[in-house]
Amino acid sequence: MPEVKVLTRHFGAPGVTGLEGYRRVGGYRGLEKALRVGPEAVAAEVKASGLRGRGGAAFPTATKWSFLPQGVFPRYLCVNADESEPGCFKDRVLLEEMPHQLIEGAMIAAFALQVSHAFIYIRGEYRRQRELLERAVREAYSAHLCGPSVLGGEWGCELIVHGGAGAYICGEETALLDSLEGRRGQPRLKPPFPAVKGLYGQPTVVNNVETLSNLPYIVVEGGAAYAALGTEGSPGSRLFCVSGHVQSPGTFEVAMGKTTFRELIELAGGVRPGHHFKAMQPGGGSMQILGPQHLDLALDFKAVSDAGSSLGAGALVVMDETTCLVDVSMRLVDFYRHESCGKCVPCREGTYFESELMHRLEAGLATEAELGTLPDVCRAMDGRCFCPLGDTATWFVMSAYRMFPEEFHSHCGAGACPVRSALGAAA
Amino acid sequence: MAAVEAPGELLRVTIDDRQVEVAPGSLVWDACEKAGVYVPVYCAHKKLEPVAVCRMCLVEIEGMPKLQPACATRVSQGMQIRTATDQVRDFRRGNLEFLLLNHPLDCPVCDRGGECDLQDFTQRYGPGRTRSAITDKVHFDKAVRLSDRILLDQERCILCWRCVRYYEEVTGEREIVLQERGVHTLVDTFEHRELQSEFQGNLPEICPVGALTHAQYRFRARPWDLRRTASVCPKCSYGCNIFIDAREEQIARFASNDNPDVDDSWLCDRGRYSFPELNRTERVLNPEARLGGGRQPVAHSEALARAAGALLRVRGDHGAGAVGFLCSPQVTNEEGFLLQWLARQVVGSPHLDHRLEPLPELSPEQFRLGIAELEERDAVVVLGDAPERSAPVLTLRLFKTETKRRRRVLRVPLGTPAASLLEPLQGCRSVGVVAHQEQRSEAVALSRSLAGAGLSSSVLTLVEGMNARGCQDLGVSPAVLPGYQPAAEPGMHGRAILEAAAAGSIKALVLLSPDPEWERDPAFEAALSEVEALIVVTPWLGLASRQATVLFPGRTVAEKAGTVTSTEGRVQRVRTALQPRFPFPPDLRVLGELGGALGTPLGVQPLAGPVFSLIAEAVPPYRGTQGGLRADWGAPA
Ligand SMILES: Cc1cc2nc3c(=O)[nH]c(=O)nc-3n(C[C@H](O)[C@H](O)[C@H](O)COP(=O)(O)O)c2cc1C
Ligand code: SF4
Ligand code: SF4
Ligand code: FES
Repeated sequence: MPEVKVLTRHFGAPGVTGLEGYRRVGGYRGLEKALRVGPEAVAAEVKASGLRGRGGAAFPTATKWSFLPQGVFPRYLCVNADESEPGCFKDRVLLEEMPHQLIEGAMIAAFALQVSHAFIYIRGEYRRQRELLERAVREAYSAHLCGPSVLGGEWGCELIVHGGAGAYICGEETALLDSLEGRRGQPRLKPPFPAVKGLYGQPTVVNNVETLSNLPYIVVEGGAAYAALGTEGSPGSRLFCVSGHVQSPGTFEVAMGKTTFRELIELAGGVRPGHHFKAMQPGGGSMQILGPQHLDLALDFKAVSDAGSSLGAGALVVMDETTCLVDVSMRLVDFYRHESCGKCVPCREGTYFESELMHRLEAGLATEAELGTLPDVCRAMDGRCFCPLGDTATWFVMSAYRMFPEEFHSHCGAGACPVRSALGAAA
Repeated sequence: MAAVEAPGELLRVTIDDRQVEVAPGSLVWDACEKAGVYVPVYCAHKKLEPVAVCRMCLVEIEGMPKLQPACATRVSQGMQIRTATDQVRDFRRGNLEFLLLNHPLDCPVCDRGGECDLQDFTQRYGPGRTRSAITDKVHFDKAVRLSDRILLDQERCILCWRCVRYYEEVTGEREIVLQERGVHTLVDTFEHRELQSEFQGNLPEICPVGALTHAQYRFRARPWDLRRTASVCPKCSYGCNIFIDAREEQIARFASNDNPDVDDSWLCDRGRYSFPELNRTERVLNPEARLGGGRQPVAHSEALARAAGALLRVRGDHGAGAVGFLCSPQVTNEEGFLLQWLARQVVGSPHLDHRLEPLPELSPEQFRLGIAELEERDAVVVLGDAPERSAPVLTLRLFKTETKRRRRVLRVPLGTPAASLLEPLQGCRSVGVVAHQEQRSEAVALSRSLAGAGLSSSVLTLVEGMNARGCQDLGVSPAVLPGYQPAAEPGMHGRAILEAAAAGSIKALVLLSPDPEWERDPAFEAALSEVEALIVVTPWLGLASRQATVLFPGRTVAEKAGTVTSTEGRVQRVRTALQPRFPFPPDLRVLGELGGALGTPLGVQPLAGPVFSLIAEAVPPYRGTQGGLRADWGAPA
């Protein structure tokens, strides 16, 4: 059984969305312990856990923390709850099921980093989740789990929930900071990196909701215990959002490195009956396509990257044989076109070029010559954009084109989508 | 953007096959420039912080997997940069194809056609044609009036952010903002409000394409039809460097001509848009003289003879003190110097001024501080009610001093005792005091007190009028001789001269480029109707030209050559940008020849060069300054 329970182990416990219920399952013992053992000991446990960021880039959390310059205060912590990656809904589940687990994790991180103000930047569309979170934060305040004197001690930290206005780019950490400061949400030029000059020009750590939700367990059970759940290269457990053509889409927590894509899909009930697997996209809308040959790969950072893709933000979109990959590529490209912040030329204009081209291709209107420009357009974008949004806008479409070239070519001059036409004829 | 100042060893970098050494903190772009390797940029601008949004400048740097923006990457020791590889070329082509996707391609009717970076780079690096089958471009508004001065074509905009950053970093006013996102992104004014800034005219210059344009220049000229002349803005004493761009002997525009020590490449709208008055065609076109009852055109030589005769007659009948001399501060140094020579040396009258109101206690002490030096002072004290109103571009220098250079800028009302400044100035070693010339005595006193308290302190005084400073330096005023030597026998100041003329004790007046504003002054009118002899050199028709007994057609500042001295004492050249529409000698020659006709030959040709030598002889600080240097008046006494 590949499923393990760290983040999700108390999901559904009575009243666990509230403070009382959360305390009943041992909640806030991690924060208490953290305050007892001190910031260095907490950081050491996080290092031992091998925890890597769950926001998409998988950066080792302890290393990120260590980049804060010594002795520069105030410092800030920003919790990235902007979750907008297509196919990704795990942070939402964490917010809905156990908001206090996140608050505790955030306060542990804030204490380890000696932060005086922590912010939770929550996606604009997550209105209900924001209400739940705000209620939980109020509870935490009244129980002195945050505020000027946490648990009656010397250290205090304010916790502020801030809602975005609905922009994918505001999940990118520097755009998040600009948005939080009240500016237009657009990524900043780096260096300086947020660890050195972040929010309001001060040292800042940005961590994902899931990353921080792991901290109570790591502090209570120890970093080594957490790491041992997974493998050496991919320690710990992780939430995966499985969606698409599976029987029961949902969020599943599995051991990293030890579980395969096939097992994960099985957890979601397998491909819907009467159909068979065609392709999948791990990591969310940004990542490269994988095929049937990859089903037995482990959910391991290195294995997936060697296969030319990435675990990204922990999503898995499964596609069966009814899927037109030109259509999927077109929809994804449309997403990037819509979400491009407009700052840099290759992304702003490139996603437009890509999307117009993909629309013509999907409609069977594009010529072979037009399709021939697709790799050129993507080459002028990938690695040339100001931030990863524009780069990644090319990854799925190019990988799908490479893996299923006939499907793309068959659209040229076809007058309609050939995949759809074939389905219609079969039906 | 200027390189961050960091002391240390020079860094040796290789660009393509060239090696250069640059200061630490330099950008790859700076290094390329130094190596003579051209890198195309849109968003980068020497006066703005890097943003790296256009990606046009991407280059290869050894050891870095991705292309890097030259405009935002700092060099490191031994860096190997390549700008001419297939990868770079391929990307430039692709990026330009992107930029043109939604561009309206209306170059034939665009004011910037011929001086547009989008055209130029497309020619140089771009694809011949687009390969996109998109027929439906994203459309935006064209010719949006942002104010009565500036138009915005949102379709031509390439979103380089320069205009937004200009407002953020240079003026601090933030009137232009970005709206929407993705391919719908556009620049606009905040909440569609009309632009208020007095520095809007810089926008079309920093815009790399034809998106922001001058309402005044719309459809007026093509860059290749323009003749460009480097000169000085005539509108105030600050001395901003400009190009006068002329077409068919009409000025089409003033453009900035970056002088980092003065204007830092910015002009104010008052100056930039002031040129139409110089294009006026209602002009004095002929020498004229009053003969019998009326006035008639005469030969230049006859006008000279008549002017000399009239002056000699008055001096003979009433003494030299019955002749008064007045000019506006729009005269060049050479003209001003010859006017004072004519008054003191030739005619022998002490009654001479370059303005109407008195200006007692002139001394070089009120002028020690230079404009660029403001940035180097630990603090700047701005005295009185916004003295920069009379030299608007100083506003930008003060903003830069305060923001980019992080110096303290204190604005204090008149009458502030020095003692009360010691606390806000705590920790400062050097301070500059800025004041309008009306407050110069107070500024000097304040500066002395601060010096007394151990600070190194000096004053920058803002005088009124393009060359008021030159007129003061060169003694075109009643109480001081050239070089601030006190006059043994001080004469009357401007208004006193007019009053004496109205009262009958001044019988002859010589007016050189009189200020048209004076014509609204009753004292001026009274004086002009009373004097026996009125010798006028002016370009403009008006009261003075009508009343003149002898009239010479004068030249505007765009039509003459010479030097002017800015308020900080910088001696800069004005050059002939337009040919006047008459064949008569320039004002300077009129003055020199008039001296000769009065019996005192000038001794040199009445041309700007030789007359400047006379100035340098009489006023030693002026030696060697005409290349645009500040006259050095020595250490404070
Ligand atoms: C376009 C873009 C969108 C992103 N969106 C999110 C997001 O919604 N949530 C998130 O946690 N990280 C997101 N990231 C990653 C963040 O920049 C950052 O790496 C992350 O929040 C760091 O947290 P972690 O170290 O805990 O993973 C995004 C990055 C990019 C480039
Ligand atoms: S790649 Fe460029 S336009 Fe796209 S989101 Fe990032 S900065 Fe904005
Ligand atoms: S209007 Fe001009 S300066 Fe402003 S962003 Fe557009 S192209 Fe750049
Ligand atoms: S000039 Fe470097 S990115 Fe624009």
